Amino acid sequence: MTKAKLSKGLIFTLLLIGGIAMSIPFIWLLFSSFKHNKEIIGYPPTFFPETFTLTHYLNLNSRFNIGRYFMNSVFLSTVKTVLAVYTSLLCGYVLAKFNFFLKNFLFKIVLFTMMVPYIITVIPVYQMITDFGWKDQYIAIIAPTILSSFGIFMMRQYIKTGVPDELLEAARIDGAGEFRIFHTIVIPLCVNMISALTIFLFLWNWEDFLWPYLVLNTQDKFPLAVALNMFSGQNTTNYGGLFATSLVTILPVVIVYFMFQKRFVEGISMSGIK
Amino acid sequence: MIEIKIKTNSQMASQKALIILVSVLMISFYSVFSIGPMIYAFVGSFADWNPIKDTFQFIQFNNYIHLFNNPLFWKSLKNTIYFVAVVVTGRVVLGFLIALGLNSIRKYKSMMRSLYFLPVIMPIVAVALVWKWLYDPNIGFFQMVLSAFGITNVKFLFDPDLALPSIMLMTIWKDVGYAVIIFLAGLMDVPQSIIEASEIDGANKRQQLWNIIIPTLKPTLIFVIITSIISYFQTFTQIFIMTKGGPGTSTHVLLYMIYREAFQYYRFGYASAITVCLFIVIMIVTFIQFKIMKGGEV
Repeated sequence: MTKAKLSKGLIFTLLLIGGIAMSIPFIWLLFSSFKHNKEIIGYPPTFFPETFTLTHYLNLNSRFNIGRYFMNSVFLSTVKTVLAVYTSLLCGYVLAKFNFFLKNFLFKIVLFTMMVPYIITVIPVYQMITDFGWKDQYIAIIAPTILSSFGIFMMRQYIKTGVPDELLEAARIDGAGEFRIFHTIVIPLCVNMISALTIFLFLWNWEDFLWPYLVLNTQDKFPLAVALNMFSGQNTTNYGGLFATSLVTILPVVIVYFMFQKRFVEGISMSGIK
Repeated sequence: MIEIKIKTNSQMASQKALIILVSVLMISFYSVFSIGPMIYAFVGSFADWNPIKDTFQFIQFNNYIHLFNNPLFWKSLKNTIYFVAVVVTGRVVLGFLIALGLNSIRKYKSMMRSLYFLPVIMPIVAVALVWKWLYDPNIGFFQMVLSAFGITNVKFLFDPDLALPSIMLMTIWKDVGYAVIIFLAGLMDVPQSIIEASEIDGANKRQQLWNIIIPTLKPTLIFVIITSIISYFQTFTQIFIMTKGGPGTSTHVLLYMIYREAFQYYRFGYASAITVCLFIVIMIVTFIQFKIMKGGEV
């Protein structure tokens, strides 16, 4: 018994050390963002700030216009996520519950495109966006993600068994049309999957870098990730400013995580269940 | 699907409308933004395709011939495979060990899980920048720790031998939590009754691990390994932010090469030829996955 307790204690200690090691980059960033630039580049290096300063945070908005980029990211991520979640439900429902001529063909396309590396479409879609005259416009970022193969697949798998046929039949006997059934019966039954998919897509959209970086030219339109990269290229020696800016980009997702912790973990777990 | 008995004309019409709406939506979306572009890229890989000069002329296999004769392509492929091998192993092994540990503790479980999981959700651009500074030879945290042990002058991202391993470490740190969560979900499926029965029969922890836990988790393990392989073949952002392929070509990976050829030199045809090669590699990996999954089924 004591041996078992000892090994439990050992496991706990190891996990704790690992966990602290995991958070060191974040803690180092946090402390460094409160140091004066002189202290950051000074020798010997320090871990805790010797003199505490808020300068970098106070300068954030005037030097970096963070509010603007933040709102751009919120707008883009929200629009893209809402559209893709809705279309995933719609396509997933139809693929799960109806028999029609193209059904198997469409489902195979969904499966196939889930495996294809995204980069293969980046070059041709870039050419198309240029030809359409969509460069430097948000439509170029939103349109290619109106449908999500991953989302359609996830919803189709869930609705197949998670939404009982009897319930749909009962509604049909009561005279409800298909669009009403979809909005009033199917969607409410998928709430858990909707929140899981929303979290996933929102995170992906929030950190999306390459595509917005390629298609946007106007600085005022940049999402946070692209703006941060630009800012770091322009301020190579203003370390404190960079640290504060990075921290402010990371912080929102950390707060959102602690608000919806359970949903996050459920969502990730569900993605692994085939 | 149950045959629907009572159906009014308007219900029939709404059903038809829904099916047509979804079919049209999916077909138009996939032709414009997915399957269509794939064919475009495949055809374009046989062309001298430059959006700046506005050219698109077929040059047969020239892009591929140049590519296979370009030492940078083989270097990038080698770097990519090295990266994939190390990061996938690190993520799976560490993820599995951490999940086993977390599964065995009761107190502070969700707090501990959060510590491992938080990096997963942090935006990759910010994380890559932070690690770039952690590795900085002058102001960095790692330099500070090493100098406490009397080790100085480690150049990390500026050292051709250390640059790629440094990015690998950062990637494992960022992504291990995802594997942890998936494995934790898988561990819930391990039948507790069998574990207890094996304990009565005198099985030790190691026997339980190899004979009960790992076989139960096999599908989950394969899932994590394959999805990791596919995603790490497409590593780009951390390379772009931290080293831009350097020093020299020591962190040049396939996606970085595609990016450079396409969006710095605007050689779209040549870059497409690389994407086609990447596509073939990933299809082979996926095919192997299907084979293993089918073979793994009882």
